[in-house]
Amino acid sequence: MNPAEQVQDPVVTEIRDANLNYLMLAQQMIRLDKASAIYRLGISQSIADLLDSLSNAQLIKLASSSVMLTRFRFDDAQILGLLTQHNKGYAQSLVHSAILMAGKPVQTIA
Amino acid sequence: MKTKSVVTESEELQLAIRLINLGARLQLLESHTSLSRERLIKLYKELKGNSPPKGMLPFSTDWFLTWLPNIHSSLFLNIYNFLKINAGIDGIQALATAYELYLEQARELEHTEEFQLTDEPVLSLVRAWTLVRFVQNNLLTIEPCSRCSGHFLVNTYDLNQEYLCNLCHVPSRAGKYQRSTRKSNEDTHASTS
Repeated sequence: MNPAEQVQDPVVTEIRDANLNYLMLAQQMIRLDKASAIYRLGISQSIADLLDSLSNAQLIKLASSSVMLTRFRFDDAQILGLLTQHNKGYAQSLVHSAILMAGKPVQTIA
Repeated sequence: MKTKSVVTESEELQLAIRLINLGARLQLLESHTSLSRERLIKLYKELKGNSPPKGMLPFSTDWFLTWLPNIHSSLFLNIYNFLKINAGIDGIQALATAYELYLEQARELEHTEEFQLTDEPVLSLVRAWTLVRFVQNNLLTIEPCSRCSGHFLVNTYDLNQEYLCNLCHVPSRAGKYQRSTRKSNEDTHASTS
């Protein structure tokens, strides 16, 4: 099949854009201040080192996948429900989610 | 130390500048840099425009257990521990970075209605430093909340079975401070007049 004829799903294009945006932002953050970037991104040190060392070409290659490279940091549905309930104020949910995120260990895909 | 390295000295100066800008007092600076007291005082005056405050540092463990301070110090401690475990930094570097990250989030909270209290952050750098030492010496410890599993600061010798954190179980008069009521009174007066 001629690739030019292939109609690309707009969602896939969006995902690629998001991936590239994420990777570029992450790399920039790591180069600026590695320790706070690790905290903000919630990644491990070895991943941070790897992202730091990627060239632009590698970055683009990595980004051009049809699946998201990142995933949601709240894995527990119960906790997410707790945080999105509107029975407490916005500030309390904000600080609560910040505490929970900082308390979670970084995740690795086995 | 007789032979002092120029590089180390300049690094220590940079560290001292960073800490003073974050609100460090002399006691903290003296224990984390080897710069002389005179130089630190000079540096402090140059950066802040006034003499460093004298007197004792805050020393109460109870302060960290009251409602709003407990939330803020738990947030700080979580960030600090995260950096220590995951980012491979330790000691004063971890303290300074964690405090910067905490300040960022605390400022965000100040923009919301409920937590508007003062211009100062709830947890000062000196308090944060004291907190880390309290935890190191086991006066305070961290307990996971039985509902949200978040890590919160508690007294080591309290009974903490089935512990519920201050955010899952908000005390009835939490956050009702005199200053905020006075401010809201002023607001209502202003709106009625």
